[in-house]
Amino acid sequence: MSFLMTTGDIPFRLRVFSGIVAAGFLLLLLALFRTQVINAEMYGTREQAQSLRRIRLPSARGDILDRHGVLLANNRPSYDVVIYLDQLRISKRQDIYRVASSNLAVLAEAMKLPVTLAERDIRTHYHKRRPLPLTVWRDLPPPTQALFAERAAQLPAIELIATPIRQYPNGALAAHLLGFAGQAEQPDDEEGDEFYYYQADTAGKQGIEKTCDEALRGAPGGRTIRVNPSGRSVGEVGYKPAERGDRVTLTIDANIQRIVENALDHAPLPGGAELRAAAVVLDPRTGEVLAMASRPTFDPNLFTPGAPAAEVGLVLRNPASPLLNRATGARYAPGSTFKPVTLLAALDSGAVRAGDTSVCKGSLQIGNRSFGCWNRHGHGRVDAATAIRWSCDVWFYEKGMATKVDAIARTAKDFGLGQPSGYDGGGELAGLVPTPAWKQAHYGERWWDADTAQLSIGQSFLLTTPLQMACLCAALANGGKVWKPFVIRRIATAEGVIVSETKPELRRRISSPHFEFARQTMLATVQATDGTGQRAAVPGVSVAGKTGTAEADIRVDGAVRRIKRVWFIGFAPYEAPRVAVAVLLEQGDSGGHTAAPVVGQIFAGIFGKPTARAERGGVHAD
Amino acid sequence: MPTSRPAPFFQRMDWLLFAVMLALAVTSVCFIYSASYRGPGQPMPAFYRQQMIWFGAGLAVYVAVMAVDYRRICQWATVWYVLAVLSLVLVLIIGVQVYGARRWLGWGRLGIQPAELAKLAVIVTLAYYLFHRTPEQRQDWKTVLAPMIVTGVPLLLILVEPDLGSALTLVPILFAMLFMAGARVKHLLLAVLLGLCLTPVAWWQMKTYQRQRLAVFLNPNRDPLGAGWNLNQSLIAVGSGGVTGKGFLQGTQNSLGYLPRTVAPNDFLFSVIAEEKGFVGAACVVGLYAVLLGRGLRIAANARDRLGMLLATGIVAMLFFHVFVNIGMTIGLMPVTGVPLPLLSYGGSFALVSMTALGLLQNIWIHRRNY
Repeated sequence: MSFLMTTGDIPFRLRVFSGIVAAGFLLLLLALFRTQVINAEMYGTREQAQSLRRIRLPSARGDILDRHGVLLANNRPSYDVVIYLDQLRISKRQDIYRVASSNLAVLAEAMKLPVTLAERDIRTHYHKRRPLPLTVWRDLPPPTQALFAERAAQLPAIELIATPIRQYPNGALAAHLLGFAGQAEQPDDEEGDEFYYYQADTAGKQGIEKTCDEALRGAPGGRTIRVNPSGRSVGEVGYKPAERGDRVTLTIDANIQRIVENALDHAPLPGGAELRAAAVVLDPRTGEVLAMASRPTFDPNLFTPGAPAAEVGLVLRNPASPLLNRATGARYAPGSTFKPVTLLAALDSGAVRAGDTSVCKGSLQIGNRSFGCWNRHGHGRVDAATAIRWSCDVWFYEKGMATKVDAIARTAKDFGLGQPSGYDGGGELAGLVPTPAWKQAHYGERWWDADTAQLSIGQSFLLTTPLQMACLCAALANGGKVWKPFVIRRIATAEGVIVSETKPELRRRISSPHFEFARQTMLATVQATDGTGQRAAVPGVSVAGKTGTAEADIRVDGAVRRIKRVWFIGFAPYEAPRVAVAVLLEQGDSGGHTAAPVVGQIFAGIFGKPTARAERGGVHAD
Repeated sequence: MPTSRPAPFFQRMDWLLFAVMLALAVTSVCFIYSASYRGPGQPMPAFYRQQMIWFGAGLAVYVAVMAVDYRRICQWATVWYVLAVLSLVLVLIIGVQVYGARRWLGWGRLGIQPAELAKLAVIVTLAYYLFHRTPEQRQDWKTVLAPMIVTGVPLLLILVEPDLGSALTLVPILFAMLFMAGARVKHLLLAVLLGLCLTPVAWWQMKTYQRQRLAVFLNPNRDPLGAGWNLNQSLIAVGSGGVTGKGFLQGTQNSLGYLPRTVAPNDFLFSVIAEEKGFVGAACVVGLYAVLLGRGLRIAANARDRLGMLLATGIVAMLFFHVFVNIGMTIGLMPVTGVPLPLLSYGGSFALVSMTALGLLQNIWIHRRNY
């Protein structure tokens, strides 16, 4: 320090004064050291916290394809007009709502569109999400885009941006299976910190869109921007693009799907009946779902952001529940389509032999009640083969009671009834296989022989979904292999790297020496001229199947009405089955008259043959 | 009076003191530029060019003040003092009102703050008065009282403007000079005690914003979006600068306007430097001031007479108070007051006053004792 002060003759008081000054400087240096070195990180964090904002960028959903690569769901650009409120020049005395709405009013007039944003929307956005674009109009058609382009130059804070929007190119095709996507809800806790502007993904709400949501969504990207004290963005600091969602390939065949839906739509319904139906087509060699349809249906394209609320409400409030996938999400008594199960249970239990006969007089007295056969005139002497072919109830009443409920219920469960099939498309109900113990627990009543009789013809408390019946049909077709049905064949990244692939999974193998017999009776049901299922026949294709008609009481306008649920399960070709089908219609004349023709049309479509009905019609025309 | 004049003054002047002054002036222009920088392509306020003009004018005054013997300047002490008091009265009558305070005398864009000039006048007057007391008189309590009155008149006038920071600057000047003049420590302590007794009166007299600033000083987290904004943002700026800083023109606190643009170039210029140049740069600035004041103290020690010594003491006390309070304010060591940083903060009046004061120091050094 000698260069600062000459040593020697310095008065004492000057030394004291110099000491005070030196101490002051030391204090400043120490305080600076504390602020800039020791606490630097804390202040750095505070600096970033107040000036950096992270914006979450939603990812585009992945495509959904059928087994041959046909697009079932993808994205299209929606051209939206947005306003950046932070870019509007407003002075302190001006009001954001006034400035924004006067800007928009100019544009609205030019584009002949009404501004639907409420004052609250603008204010909330300004206070909570200032650097983000606020959408004014969605999905503009090209002519309106052109009108916007003419005006855009004068309005610096307003832009036209393209955002991906979910699209289902085939409209309502496979609507229930695919489901639909809508705006995801913002998680409140984890990502709700104040420096995070959340832009939600589209989330799957139903069907494959829901079950594969995680894969389809992809990974969100992020943008970090710097904002000034008034919250206006002044530049981008970091950017990470969102990763497109994975591509999901289904086992569905779009062609078969179209055939099935077409067949359902043309079902020969009795007069006055509404079309409420479901159909499932499986590959009995693997358990792959080739088609799945439900009626009534809806257009999933309706559920895009900004869709007219009135139309959406119409779908949601429709008493026919068009959103319900009846193929997996509704339970019905299977009726006579259950009889092959009873038959196998009876033969396998040893209590009944194929040659055992009953005499059907149109009804059977059990206890003090009379139980009718569908044929009031009676079938006469009936054996196992004709009991299936004619669908005779009396034979099944008698032989079922001889077999006992436990054996029937066990076989039913072996076929996968009364439990979820493990289907990967979601929304599945378990159905119900009643047992004496179950009845005791739920009704406090013992199991009567009459219950066994009813169960034998697929009634009483038995409930199944069309999907379960399709699985059952597939197992009958392939000689006892109960597959786990699946619809998601493969998940791969947008670049094509396979993430997962589904292998067929055998749930159970039922071994019975009587399978071939049961299959033969089903072939005869369709092929014999006295079979109940002959309307499912397709010339040149060996179709086998079983009809079903189950009575059910429903409430219509407060009054109880008895209607007939009609079924048909079938497989083809008989020698080496490639297709198994289950069709249900909530209201019909009988399985043979209403459901069998639908299945016939499906097989005809799949195997490229005209139906027997059409052919006969053609002959008559000649 | 020496009969043979020594070499011309530029040969005898303290070149290191001059160099430090220039270094600070250059730093000032650079960081006033940075403090008004808003990003590429944005309009650039001309503060830094304005400051260069002030420094040019200051340099002229600096040379002029060096050229005239300080003893001659001090003979006119009464005149300086009366002129200063008159201008302080004048500013209260015709001064330009800015943010509710009358501090400026001016025509158009050219304005000066009489309060800044008054600081120099008080230093000169006190030095002159104390120099003319005999050693016995200097022990007397009356010799303490008279300087207190001499200081008190401009102090009260400045308080009325109001300009608390400038008014308070006079207090350390007074005490440092009395102390160096040899006043009894007992008397000085008594004066301090009296001052402390007046504190409640001062609180009662304070404007709301002044009270808020004091409250924020005591608790920086109080009202961080209002009264505490400047302090908090300055702390964040200085702290986030870290050891090496964010780089010239890279200070986000400053360029984005978190550190308000109205205060960044003047009262909070140190925060800008600390943010962009880090602890290294901030310590360098503190180091430059240390050299500057160290040289000032050496000049006091080597002054030819008691007048020079007292003058140098008053100048060092003034500059030290400004440096300490301003830098202390940016890091929460001192409450927020509008005390500018000598030679760095944007502003003409204090740049002129600082350079005049440094010119006087050179003057005393040039006329130092010869060994």
